[in-house]
Amino acid sequence: MNGLVMGAIYALSAAGVSLVAGVMRVINFSHGEFYILGAYFSYYFSVSLGLNPVLAAVVAMGFLFLIGLFIERTLIRSTYGQPMQSMIITFILSIVLQNIALISFGPYPKKPPAFSEDSVHFIGDFNYGIQRLIAGSSSLFLFCLFYLFIKKTRFGLKIRAVAQDPQMAEAVGIHSKRIRLVSFGLAVALAGAAGVVLSPTFPVVPTSGEPLTLSAFVVIVFGGMGSIRGCLMGGLLLGLAENFGSAYISTMYSQVFGFILLIGIILFRPTGIYGNKI
Amino acid sequence: MATKSKRSIKWLIGISIALAALLLPKFASDYGIHIAIISLFYVLMSSSWNLVAGFTGQVSFAHAAFAAIGAYASSLMAIHYNLPIPLTIVFGTCIAGTLGHVLGRLCLPLGGTYLSLVTLSFAEILRIVITNEDQWTRGTMGLQVPGIFRDYSKTKYYLLFLAITVFAVLGLNLLIRSRMGLRFRAVMDDEIAAASVGVHTTNIRVLAFTLSSLIAGLAGALYGHYAMLISPDIGSLAQMFLILAMTMIGGLGSIEGPIFGAILLEVLSEQIRSFGEYHLLVFGVISLLIVRFAPQGLAGLLRRQRWKLF
Amino acid sequence: MAIKLFTLIFISLGFANLSSAETIKIGVVGPRTGSAAAEGTAFDEGIALALDAIRAKGGIHGSSVEVVFEDTGGGPEKAAAAFEKLVTKDKVAIVLGESHSSAALAEIEVANRYHTPFIVAEAWADAIMEKKYPSVFRAGPYNTDVVNSTIVQFIKEGHFKKVSIVAENSDWGKGIGALTDSALKKEKIEHSLTEVDQNAKDFYPSLNKVKTEKPDLVLAYIYSFGLHTFVSQARELSVSPNALVLDGAGPPSLWGEFWTNVGKAGDGELFISPMHESVQPNAEAKAFWNAYKKKFSKSPSDYKIRSAYITVLLAADALERANSTEPSDVVNALEKTNFSAPTGKIHFGTKQGDIHYHQWSPQMLAVQWQNRKQVVVFPKNVATGTIEFSK
Repeated sequence: MNGLVMGAIYALSAAGVSLVAGVMRVINFSHGEFYILGAYFSYYFSVSLGLNPVLAAVVAMGFLFLIGLFIERTLIRSTYGQPMQSMIITFILSIVLQNIALISFGPYPKKPPAFSEDSVHFIGDFNYGIQRLIAGSSSLFLFCLFYLFIKKTRFGLKIRAVAQDPQMAEAVGIHSKRIRLVSFGLAVALAGAAGVVLSPTFPVVPTSGEPLTLSAFVVIVFGGMGSIRGCLMGGLLLGLAENFGSAYISTMYSQVFGFILLIGIILFRPTGIYGNKI
Repeated sequence: MATKSKRSIKWLIGISIALAALLLPKFASDYGIHIAIISLFYVLMSSSWNLVAGFTGQVSFAHAAFAAIGAYASSLMAIHYNLPIPLTIVFGTCIAGTLGHVLGRLCLPLGGTYLSLVTLSFAEILRIVITNEDQWTRGTMGLQVPGIFRDYSKTKYYLLFLAITVFAVLGLNLLIRSRMGLRFRAVMDDEIAAASVGVHTTNIRVLAFTLSSLIAGLAGALYGHYAMLISPDIGSLAQMFLILAMTMIGGLGSIEGPIFGAILLEVLSEQIRSFGEYHLLVFGVISLLIVRFAPQGLAGLLRRQRWKLF
Repeated sequence: MAIKLFTLIFISLGFANLSSAETIKIGVVGPRTGSAAAEGTAFDEGIALALDAIRAKGGIHGSSVEVVFEDTGGGPEKAAAAFEKLVTKDKVAIVLGESHSSAALAEIEVANRYHTPFIVAEAWADAIMEKKYPSVFRAGPYNTDVVNSTIVQFIKEGHFKKVSIVAENSDWGKGIGALTDSALKKEKIEHSLTEVDQNAKDFYPSLNKVKTEKPDLVLAYIYSFGLHTFVSQARELSVSPNALVLDGAGPPSLWGEFWTNVGKAGDGELFISPMHESVQPNAEAKAFWNAYKKKFSKSPSDYKIRSAYITVLLAADALERANSTEPSDVVNALEKTNFSAPTGKIHFGTKQGDIHYHQWSPQMLAVQWQNRKQVVVFPKNVATGTIEFSK
């Protein structure tokens, strides 16, 4: 149960990384930092400015989309075709954003108001936090929205075309530059969305982004880079693996299971469950 | 042009640096020597990371982790088996080198991104294992480590670090200028072309990776016995960032770059210590600018300027 | 260019310290960054109050006092480096502070190496004083004392039948967890011990295990914001309020973020603290309370503000009596301490091999949040109310 909920959360957190890896061939190290920015923005809009939490979430995502566009233009665009370069840049960027967050929001956890502090009672002696259920189901909902956007809209089609073959896409009149720009913004907004949805359950501190980035990497390697379906499967698998691992082997090692799976998959099946190799 | 005077200037610079470095303990305070020692540790770390990143084009995120392996292996041997410390340092270095070799063998053939992801996972696994196996490693509580010298003397540690760093850097310099170094760069510049003229790309990369992990292990082991206390922090991603920033700011792919970068950033971070958390931000912004606008780093900028001068 | 760069570096190495002889420097170590950075703020406030008090008295024999506060980040490595910097660069006469046991254990090694007098304020692990370093003192609680004279007594007084101990894997958590475990074994009170990762965010797996034990008291030895997460998740899984949760450290339950982070789950939560508005045993305690209210126009919450305040005054007192900054003189003066602090008369044991060697600790209270008000429930002689169980 906890595994499935955490799985949906992981899937949403990884969706942006997967999109960027697929369309731009960029491994985005700073994804987790966009996640915490999303959480901080929604905290400030809802707590300090008193906006309605849902509205605050939307505004926060909008902001992040713009930040994403800006970062793509200034930092990422010059590194296309040089995966090492872009990885180094996003790695440094993650440290920079982490410290900006530390200075502007302080080291203490920020928790936007939760919808509910209660738990639901299931059969027998089993309880589960309502807020965590909300986080899980809204993650799943947002993930499905994203999936439909990529699969069913014209814009999604263009994104897929660029991901598959940028030259071909260019040849049929798609501006691959613009598609990449928007994809990056979208990915950053997705990270922000995860932050908005999760922070009432797991309050964020400036260093919360790092574990999220790492688990997103595990998920996209599982699912194959750039595959959205794989992303969901990878997320669920990671959630379950961590949960069973900590229940039956050791709670202290729950994160390790993901990393071991990552190394195993890279060594034996680098394309992941569905996807394609970079 | 004036090659003769250029060469003599080079010699002059070299000799004065060597003299200054040797005489440093005479006029620096304990605190100054401490910073010098830590700088030398970072010189070792960034120079060896540069060997892989700057000369074969692969980004490893496990470099700090290899230092942690060297430090913990050596310290644990010294604590639990009471072996002489020079021996445990050699042991720690070898463990790091061997693990580096195995890791390199396994994932270098897969290519860039995958190497980065695997080294990243490896570093994280290592950090979690060290943190959790605290009956051995004392986890985040920090492991007390015996020192190398019976009576504590900063000058002795400094001279030891200096000797090893000079030796390692000269070694790396020779390697890069040898035929092997040519192959390194051939692998980086054009993998396919290098392979077609008979350079075995994977072997070359594995060699560089192994050497670099070996030096990291040595640096880590020495650091542990100097600081007399180690915690999983030496293998952390923040530490990794520092090494990366030092190399990038100093100049990726040059010999002098990482040396510059390491000393500069360490001294700078001590100077702006009172600003606490700001130093990582400052380094981050500087390295972003450098990577974006001057990918050759400070060394590259200096070199360009010298051309103008002469 | 290269020469310039190196000269610059060497200059900054060589002349790194230029200190004036007029002021006496006191070093403070504590977390200003990292997950317990709130303690740094608490220390800052305590130091400021203590400096006001020292200034009002005209300094130490006419010299002014300066405090250099170095950040430890809560980790041992940084702590040792910070301590070393205080001694070798700032040349402080005495060092005090600390609120992490792991960091303190690293610092005492440096203190011993340089024979620097060091007063530990808020690091509770027994091991810190077990090494019997001649220049190390502790004027604060320690695990054995907290467990035996506060926690176990509280459990007996409250007639708790089944206790689940949840301890983080830090020097403090592991130490106090094991001590409580053996103390409860001696008292024949049914209990269990669970270890958790000190950086964990998701306590569901551990809490599910605790839940099957059906305890009536959960002892949470979790420091920093982990405690908030633990308290709110305990409620989500309805471990509480069936069982009461006792925060075995204290400060996290008093931080400003506590109520936003735990919400409803905070009501009924208990915590350990040596300080409460209604418990003012002497004039010094009242003086501190009033001085704080005057300077910060609110009531002090985190008791570590007061710990820092007391230790700075204690150090100044020793420096004054020693009339010297020589380490051995200061240590001698500290051994002869007889200082009236808000927590009582402070004096250190001097018998080698005794558990009270260089150790002094205050009486701790157990406080419960009842309708967001702090109610002292233990010990009986100062209690302002009784323990409230789940309704």
